[in-house]
Amino acid sequence: MLAISLALNGIVLGSVLLLFSLGLTLIYGVGRIVNFAHGALFSIGAMLGVWMSGQGMPLWATLIATPLVVGLLGVVLDWAILARIRDRPMVDSLLLTFGLALFITGVLYEFGGRNVQIMPIPQSLDGAIGLFGLTLPVYRAFVSVLGIALAAGLFLFLKNSDWGLRVRAANDDPEMGACLGIDREMLMHSVVGVSAALAAISGAAAAPIFTAYATVGDKILILAFMTVILGGLGSLRGAVVAAYVVGLIIVFGEGYFGGQMALMLLFVLVMAMLINWPRGFFGEGRTE
Amino acid sequence: MNSTTVVKQQARPLGRPTSRRPLIVALVVIAALGATLPLWTAEEPFLLMLASHAVIAAVVALSLDLLTGNTGLLSFGHAAWYGFGAYAAGLISKLLTPEMLIILPFVVLMATVIALSIGAILIRQIGKTFAILTLALSQIFYAMVFVFSSSTGGEDGLQGIPLVTLAGQQIVSSDAWFWLLYTVLVLSLAGVLYLRTTPLGRAWLAIRENTERARFIGIDTGLLKLIAYTVSAAIASLAGALFVLFNGAVSPDILHWFESGKILMYVVLGGMGTIIGPVFGAAIFTFAEHYISSFTDAWLIYFGGLFVIIVIVAPGGIFGIFGSLYRKVTGKTGDAA
Repeated sequence: MLAISLALNGIVLGSVLLLFSLGLTLIYGVGRIVNFAHGALFSIGAMLGVWMSGQGMPLWATLIATPLVVGLLGVVLDWAILARIRDRPMVDSLLLTFGLALFITGVLYEFGGRNVQIMPIPQSLDGAIGLFGLTLPVYRAFVSVLGIALAAGLFLFLKNSDWGLRVRAANDDPEMGACLGIDREMLMHSVVGVSAALAAISGAAAAPIFTAYATVGDKILILAFMTVILGGLGSLRGAVVAAYVVGLIIVFGEGYFGGQMALMLLFVLVMAMLINWPRGFFGEGRTE
Repeated sequence: MNSTTVVKQQARPLGRPTSRRPLIVALVVIAALGATLPLWTAEEPFLLMLASHAVIAAVVALSLDLLTGNTGLLSFGHAAWYGFGAYAAGLISKLLTPEMLIILPFVVLMATVIALSIGAILIRQIGKTFAILTLALSQIFYAMVFVFSSSTGGEDGLQGIPLVTLAGQQIVSSDAWFWLLYTVLVLSLAGVLYLRTTPLGRAWLAIRENTERARFIGIDTGLLKLIAYTVSAAIASLAGALFVLFNGAVSPDILHWFESGKILMYVVLGGMGTIIGPVFGAAIFTFAEHYISSFTDAWLIYFGGLFVIIVIVAPGGIFGIFGSLYRKVTGKTGDAA
C-alpha cells in the first residue's frame, strides 16, 4: 500500500522535475551553459503564481501568465547579460549564472518577503480520486498530466517545427549551424526564453504542493542537476527517464529513510553512474 | 574537451608562478603592516574583530584559489569544507578537549581523509560536471546538519563552544587571537606561493592551461588534481575550525550555498589564479559586506549584482585591473603564467 502511494508521489515529483530539467537541458544543449539561476527562476514562477492567485486570477490564467512573464524575463536576461559572455571560457558562464541566482534570490527576498507562502488549490481540482484502492489528490494528478503533456508538446515542437530543427542543429554542432545561416543570437534568446518559461511554469504548477518561498528552487535545482547528469548532459530523452528515476528515488528514500538520506542515496547513485556511464542512460550526453 | 574548444579557450593573464622582487617586497611590507593592526585598533575592538573575520575569510579564499587557480577546477560548494571544519572543531571542543593543538590537526586529518575519498570520484569529472557535483555535495553537507540535529543543534546552530587553549594556555585577548589567525594566514599563503615554484606547482599550472597536453607529456593529471582538491579542502576546514573556535558558535548558514558564493566572490573579486588576489578580495569584501549590510537589508541584491558585473567587466578581478594598468604604465607586456 505504502509503496504504491509513494510510487504515485514519485511520478508527481518526476513530472515537475521533468519540466524543470528540460529547460536546463535545452539551454545547455544550445548554449553550453549550465544555468545555476534556473532554480531562482523556479522560485520566481512559484512566488509570482501565488501573487497572481492572491489577486484573484484563476489557475489556468496563472499557469499561462507566469511562464509568459518569466519567459520574457529570460529573453531580456539573455540579451542583456548572457550575451556579454558568449565566447568566453565556460568558467565565466558558470560564475555569471551563479551570481544571477544570488541576485534573483535577493530580489525575491526584497519583494516577496522571507516567509513561506501558501497557494490555494482551486475548488475544481480540490478533490481526490481513487486509484488502486488509494486516494490521490486530484491536483497532484493534474500536475503530472500537465508535466507530461507539456513535455510531449515540447518534443513534438522540437521534432517538427522550424525552430526545433534549428535547436537540434545547434545542439549537435553550433558552429556548423551558424555557417548554415542559423542566427545564433536570436536562437539563443528564444531558447533561454523557453527554458525560463519551463522553469516558471513548473514552479507555479508545483506551488500548491511545494508552497512558495524565495529559495524554493534550491532543492529542485539540485535534483534537476542530478537528473541531467544521470540522463547525460544535453540529452533530452535521457532527462525524461532520469526525471522519473530521481523522483521515485527521492520519494521512496523520504518514505523509508527520511528526506536528507534520500539526497545522499541519490548522490551515491549519481557518482556510481558517472564512473560507469558518464554519458547518461542513452549514451548521448556530452562529456567535454 | 574537444580540440576546437581548446584552441578557443584563450587563457586570460593569470597569476605568474615566477616570483618577482617588487612584488615580494610589497607583500612583506603589507604583511608587516597587517601584523601591527592590533596596535592601532586598540581604541576600536570591533574593528579588530572584523579584521580577524577578514583574515579567516582570506584563508578560505586562499584554499579555493589553490584549487581553481592551479587546476582550473571550479568549486561551487567550497563552503562544504569550511563548514565541515567548523562543525567538526566545534563538536570536538565540546565533547573531547578544548586544546587547539589537538583539535586542529584532527579536523584537518578528517577533512583530508573524506576529501580524498570523495575527491577521487569528483576530479574525474571535467569542469561543468565538477561544478555541479560540488554544489550538490555542499547541499548534502548542509542537509547532514539537520539529520544529526541532536548533536549539531540543527537550525539553532552549535552553541557554547568552550574557551580554547593553546598548549594549555587559554587565549582570551583579542590581540592574541588576531595574531594567531594572522600567523595561520601568512603561513598558508607562503606555503601555497612556495608550492607554485615547485615541480608540483608547475605541473598544476600545466593542467590549468591545458589538461590534454599535460597528460600527453606524462603528467598524472588525475592524481595531481586530487592532491589539489584535498589540500584545498584541508585548508578550508582549518579555516572553518579557526572560525568556530574564534567565534564561539556556528550556524548551519556556514554550509549554505550563499556562503559558497561568498567564497567564490573573494576569488573572483581578487583575481582568480593569483593566490594573493583572493586574500585581498576576502579582506575587502568582508569589510564592504559589513558596512553595506549595515545600511541596507537588500544585501544579497548588491552582492549578486556585483558578482555579475565583475564577471562581465573585470574577469581578472582587482589583480587583473592592476596588472593591465601596470603594463600600460611600464609598457611591459606580461606573458601569462
